[in-house]
Amino acid sequence: MILLGELSLWVALLMAIWMTTVSYAGGATRRGELVLSGQRATYATLFFVVMASLGLWTALFSHDFAIKFVASYTSANLPKVYLFSAFWAGQSGSLLFWCLILAVYTSIAVFSNRARNRELMPWVTGTLGVILIFFLATIIFAANPYERMDWVPPDGRGMNPQLQNPGMAIHPPMLYLGWVGTAIPFAFAIGALVTRRLDTEWLAAIRRWSLISWFFLTIGLVLGMWWAYVELGWGGYWAWDPVENAPLTSWLCQTAFLHSIMIQEKRGMLRKWNVTLVVAAFLLSILGTFLTRSGVIESVHSFAQSPIGTWFSTFLISIFVVTTILVMTRLRDMEAKAQLESMVSREAAFLYNNLVLVGIAFSVLWGTLFPIISEAVRGTKITVGPPFFNSVNVPLGLGLLALTGIGPLIAWRRASVANVRRQFMFPVFCGIATGATLMALGMRAFYPIVAYILVGFVVGTITQEFFKGTRARMRMYAENVLLAGLRLVGNNRRRYGGYIVHLGVAMIFAAFAGFAFKKEFDISLKTGDVFKATDPFGHTWTFTSQGVSEFKRLNRYVTAIGLAVTRDGKPMPLLSSEKRQHVDSNDQPTFEPSTEVGLYETTMQDVYLVFSGMIGPDQAEMRLAFNPLVWWVWYGGMVMAIGGLIVMWPQAEKKRQGGYVTVLTPGAETLSPVGAGAA
Amino acid sequence: MSHKSSRRDFLRAGAALGVSALLAPRLRAQDAQPTATAGAQGAANVEMPQSAYKPVSLPNKTNAKPRLTQLQRDELERGLKCACPCKLDVFTCRTTDFQCGISPAMHSDVVRLIDGGYSADEIVAAFTTVYGERVLMAPVKEGFNIVGYVVPFITVGVGATMLVALLQRWKRETESATPAVATKSVIPIAGSIPDATDDELRRLKAAVRGESDR
Repeated sequence: MILLGELSLWVALLMAIWMTTVSYAGGATRRGELVLSGQRATYATLFFVVMASLGLWTALFSHDFAIKFVASYTSANLPKVYLFSAFWAGQSGSLLFWCLILAVYTSIAVFSNRARNRELMPWVTGTLGVILIFFLATIIFAANPYERMDWVPPDGRGMNPQLQNPGMAIHPPMLYLGWVGTAIPFAFAIGALVTRRLDTEWLAAIRRWSLISWFFLTIGLVLGMWWAYVELGWGGYWAWDPVENAPLTSWLCQTAFLHSIMIQEKRGMLRKWNVTLVVAAFLLSILGTFLTRSGVIESVHSFAQSPIGTWFSTFLISIFVVTTILVMTRLRDMEAKAQLESMVSREAAFLYNNLVLVGIAFSVLWGTLFPIISEAVRGTKITVGPPFFNSVNVPLGLGLLALTGIGPLIAWRRASVANVRRQFMFPVFCGIATGATLMALGMRAFYPIVAYILVGFVVGTITQEFFKGTRARMRMYAENVLLAGLRLVGNNRRRYGGYIVHLGVAMIFAAFAGFAFKKEFDISLKTGDVFKATDPFGHTWTFTSQGVSEFKRLNRYVTAIGLAVTRDGKPMPLLSSEKRQHVDSNDQPTFEPSTEVGLYETTMQDVYLVFSGMIGPDQAEMRLAFNPLVWWVWYGGMVMAIGGLIVMWPQAEKKRQGGYVTVLTPGAETLSPVGAGAA
Repeated sequence: MSHKSSRRDFLRAGAALGVSALLAPRLRAQDAQPTATAGAQGAANVEMPQSAYKPVSLPNKTNAKPRLTQLQRDELERGLKCACPCKLDVFTCRTTDFQCGISPAMHSDVVRLIDGGYSADEIVAAFTTVYGERVLMAPVKEGFNIVGYVVPFITVGVGATMLVALLQRWKRETESATPAVATKSVIPIAGSIPDATDDELRRLKAAVRGESDR
């Protein structure tokens, strides 16, 4: 199976070359049999990529340490679930995993469009084939997971302990599902550019794909934050690391696109901009992989040391040049009669929102690349860490939060003064009331107060929209509150699903602002010692050391500290943090010891314990923190994902159009197809 | 069906090529290194080059007295990057990752300099002299680094200006192209319902039914 898997990589590459060649040839010559052959080659490519992947999984599960990848990332005593996730623990395996997802997506896209978009599809298939060729060639020639060792070690090096976490088993797949998903809209954009069919047809084909990509990126980002929080032990969930920034930039571009696509659908505007966003999201996903895998971030000079750096940079530049040429030669085809009746309209609000989203994406990318730029310009290495990103992105993020609340309140085409006043009154009141309450309670920090005022405003907006919509249904159809609410969402999923996403965004911003009030303590306790602390909400906590215990579990030796906890005199669950020394099957230590944090989570705050180590025979050193509102990050992410699911859930077109916006002309009331989607 | 036979030939040739490549010597060496796929890494699982630590020391000032409180010292350490590959600041690294021998050493240097009577700025300057600018968690706002701080805002500002100009142009074009006839206004039903009379609601409901019957 392993040999078959290795061979399958080569056959998959040949299939992808065939798929690309005949699809492009079929598109250019309009020969149906070539196009059909390209489609079949897509499925064949998928088959061989699956075989190649199964081969690697077989090698991992059978502990074939003759294979360098297996020896580098696993050991004989690694739990089975992590043998499975070891597939993406290293560079070459994660590239193959990327390729596997791309092959699956490509086959689904080709199959689901076998009777649709016939003019576009040869170019779409061919473009996806080019991407598959790139990844397969990179895997085979620069990062082959099947590379053999010169000798067979008795055991492998083991998996990095920080990757031995359930979050790491699902976070990378989610991220890759999102990242790779940008390839399908990109391929459709190329197809539309080549065939000059740049109306809304190609957008309809990619909208759901963009949502799927956005959905998985959202889950992947939140899971990554959760993993960093519970596993890395430094007390936070976002460090503005290049590995985090890369998917964030793609996510921001996707989010901008999902808003601007509505303007093209409704008004036929922004054709060039939408193509640009689709292309940018894909290029950023490739750039992100390049940045995080090539070593270029560490130093410009380490780029040449990475075997995949040259491959990725060549591909990136080629794609950029070809796409730019295609866009520049099709500018006239993308001309659309822009109609804007007012600067205060939903269309304009979406454009402001796009500006801020793309602005944040740019600033994140800029900060990530600035060390390279500085080194190239001045020859000086610098660090661009959280203080830089926070100083740049916090104001922009607050602007985005404000627009999240403003956008849904403004009518399409033109908002009258009366309309604006009526729509804004309640949300503005909510924002002011929130700010006033917090200030009365003693909050003085500028950014958190602004953030909470805006969160109040956004929640007010969403509440108002749901209240009005539900009440309208109750009046019109005599439905009860629950039924009216459910049907309101069910009959107009794009709009109300979008509002649910906005609610998730508001929850996450509230959590970010809350984190500014974290309190932390470095403490050193002997068995029986008591430490007293007051949390940000004024509760008094006591932590009594229960001493340190040592034991062996699975593939690790554990040293754990236990603290008995009380809050305001009331007993709370025991808090325990561990230091883990992982060992191989010969009981030899692998890697340095890792930390397992102790967590007591509530909706208001987390009590977060990090066991730093022993500084004496019975003297444990640890860091204790009260992290306010962290729970809201995870659940805000869930709410966003649920909103995304509602938006992307299939809905009959006619039903969707019969939404909650109507065009009223003097003397006649008619429903208009502009009715849907206002997120 | 000539294309079918050629495809079969092609597949056969491809398979042969794949087998021959398998038998050929391995193409290239590949670095095997543990890679975390998200977030800042703790120091625990990265190689710890002890040579990364460089002592930072200055002679004590005369009548030296510490000028920083413990909180100020912690804040100062949050601005200094640990020289180990963890990407964390000295304070976070030393308090959460006991395996790192570098952040405690850097912390000791900070403490010695504070005891020697040096201010926060002087300590940062001393560290920068020894380690270079890379020791700072964020670049100082001077010289070329200013470009780093202002470019995002300039970009967004230029983008906003261009966007407003574009919107105004579209608005002008729309106004000049549209004669002053009865304009359609789009009103969210949800927003208009509260002000609607019962008669208006009844007519709207009838319109909805009429549409759905169509």
